[in-house]
Amino acid sequence: MGENILADTLWDVVICGTDLPQCLLALSLSRSDKKVLHIDPNTYYGGSEAALTLQDADEWAARLSTQESNAVFKAPTISRSKSAPNLSTRAYSLALGPQFIHARSELLSQLVSSRAAQQVDFLAVGSFFISKAASDGQRHSMIRIPSTREDVFTTTALSMKAKRALMKFLKFVLNYEGSENADTWKPHAEAPLAQFVEDHFKMDLELRSYIIALTLSIDGKITTQDGLAVIHRHLTSMGVFGPGFAAVYPKWGGLAEIAQVSCRAGAVGGAVYMLGTDIKDTKTVDSISEVELTSGDKIKTRLIVKGNGGAEDGTDISRLVAVIGSSLKALFTATVEGAPIPAVVVVAFPADTLTAADGTANKSPVYLFAHSSDTGECPSGQSVLYLTTSQSPHSKEVLGLALEKFLGSGDEPETPQALYTLCYDQSGGQLPGRQADDLNMVLPSLPLSLAFDDTVLKPVHDAWKHVMGETAVDAEYMTFPERNGGMDDNDDDAYE
Amino acid sequence: MDASDDASLPVLKMILIGPSGAGKSALLTRYCDDEFEPDLSQATIGIDYKIKRLSVRGKAYRLTMFDTAGQERFRTLSTSFYRGAHAVLLVYDISSRASFLTMEKWFEEAETYTVEGIALCLVGAKLDKADPASASSPTSETYEESSSSQQHDDDSGSSGGGREVSTEEGKALADAHGALFVEVSSKTRENVRKAFVETVNRVVTTPNLLDKVRLNRSGSIALENGGKGGRRGSKVDDAGAGSGYGLGYLPNLGNLGGCSC
Repeated sequence: MGENILADTLWDVVICGTDLPQCLLALSLSRSDKKVLHIDPNTYYGGSEAALTLQDADEWAARLSTQESNAVFKAPTISRSKSAPNLSTRAYSLALGPQFIHARSELLSQLVSSRAAQQVDFLAVGSFFISKAASDGQRHSMIRIPSTREDVFTTTALSMKAKRALMKFLKFVLNYEGSENADTWKPHAEAPLAQFVEDHFKMDLELRSYIIALTLSIDGKITTQDGLAVIHRHLTSMGVFGPGFAAVYPKWGGLAEIAQVSCRAGAVGGAVYMLGTDIKDTKTVDSISEVELTSGDKIKTRLIVKGNGGAEDGTDISRLVAVIGSSLKALFTATVEGAPIPAVVVVAFPADTLTAADGTANKSPVYLFAHSSDTGECPSGQSVLYLTTSQSPHSKEVLGLALEKFLGSGDEPETPQALYTLCYDQSGGQLPGRQADDLNMVLPSLPLSLAFDDTVLKPVHDAWKHVMGETAVDAEYMTFPERNGGMDDNDDDAYE
Repeated sequence: MDASDDASLPVLKMILIGPSGAGKSALLTRYCDDEFEPDLSQATIGIDYKIKRLSVRGKAYRLTMFDTAGQERFRTLSTSFYRGAHAVLLVYDISSRASFLTMEKWFEEAETYTVEGIALCLVGAKLDKADPASASSPTSETYEESSSSQQHDDDSGSSGGGREVSTEEGKALADAHGALFVEVSSKTRENVRKAFVETVNRVVTTPNLLDKVRLNRSGSIALENGGKGGRRGSKVDDAGAGSGYGLGYLPNLGNLGGCSC
């Protein structure tokens, strides 16, 4: 123990990075007797999913500006409102890649069965809205997207014809894998969903924009096959954890919180944690990797697991995070009796609804996630907006426009102001040179999507199997008994 | 009292923080199990938290106590560790000046990541070493041995010598942060119980603290029973609410609305 623990141990696995997949691997190994060393080059948890204080964000941006080679995040700019009071840096927890989690996601099942969910507070994700320009083209207003049958009945935003088309579509999606319905869409599986619903459900442009918004497709060009799957997930997730919502968001910065709680579980299970530490050099001796860390420590391990640094799909996006000096209270209201107050709502700006100064309209939708102070990401009386769109020469301008339209669409006498904004690009390109072999595994990063995508869970499971070797029992994966807290017999009675 | 009665008691969360090697685990083990292992060199693997039933002012509570699980060793304690805490014990080693000098940083962290008005208690551990006679005993009496690579800034360096931090200095630091102060010896039991009991007493006598911590969790969804309990009210004071949902300590955390887990 003591100073030699790093050098004296033959580690079964060194996990590098605390992006969510690596942290889930640490969680999955937390009840094994495997020797786990978990490091991260960053001085904070969460990697690409990190949640940063304002000071962290300043340092993060400054560091990125001097590191041209960083493949994931680029071109950060920060601006602070001159009229804003001095913001208390630590009162903020800004998510670099906020994603909500559908109620039916396997991730939630794993967090519950592994007991990690006990340490996380999950909040309701509320309605989806479309931001629509008024007839004068200036002011935008927000229309709630009806996404349940009850919604469709009660909405006043749609004509009877549109209601019928939407109802027919929702019914179709609920049973889209049934043979009759599959016969309808499968010939168009790879064609755009927008085309499919126009051809088969006679949806007009506006109704199509509702459907695309529900898919949260970054470029708006989601295929019929993928789009139907996403909307099916949304519809079947509705009401699972309570009335009126289909997804949850972890308090205090989203997936970063799950990353931290998973690492705590790893540490309780005996894993050793080092932040601000990277792998400097590796050589292989007798099927063991001898690793020199940037801390100067030299260690030996049977396996190294890294992230691949970027998502596989190769999309690039631009993001804008804005702290708003208003609680935006009217936005966060329950729409169904008995539903919890949502902490997150989604607003979509469809393609061709925002026009840059040179007359170019946005080719891709802009998605705005509004987070109330219930998320713990800002002090009460404020809110945080996260805007995302496909990267383009105009994307940052378009994000700024969307922010402006959104802030001007409320009924408040004074337009709420942004106190702090952070703008950056995020790349989905894969890092080169990260090849897997017997001594090295690579976990794919999260896709650049706005809702958590379960596809990242399987590689984690595979890595767990690799580490566990013959002792792996699939049925026990991520399924743990309660840690016995040792309630003992001797009560302590004081101040009776 | 059987287990189901215990489960209905209001839960208080206390966390222990401080530099590696200060004696946090020894303190916890002495209080909860009345044991002391001179050669204990690291936190027991597999213990997330310890529970003790504690009655203060005629009312019983379930006190859950969370150790750092070694995550302070390389200063990797996560902010999530602090969530929902009612009380923090900040532990240093009175025989190590270096460990005391880190405490300002620990206070700052505790004050940042917890609700305002939380009960803080500064604990000077290894009081037995203040006595020159016992300080000269053999080396087998080292407590948690600390990691000592130079780059790990939180290293207290167990000196093994006599007192390096005076009672007055400790008291002054505690006063500056509105914290309780007590010097303890896990080896001799001296003041161990006092540290926990007085801190819990402060929790339950601080107006609105329980409400504040509960409010900090408002709106949270209970996943454990498919949401049937609706919102997770709080980990605290659910006694009598007749629900028990979302407490997290309940044994029957089932499926997610029909998903197979």
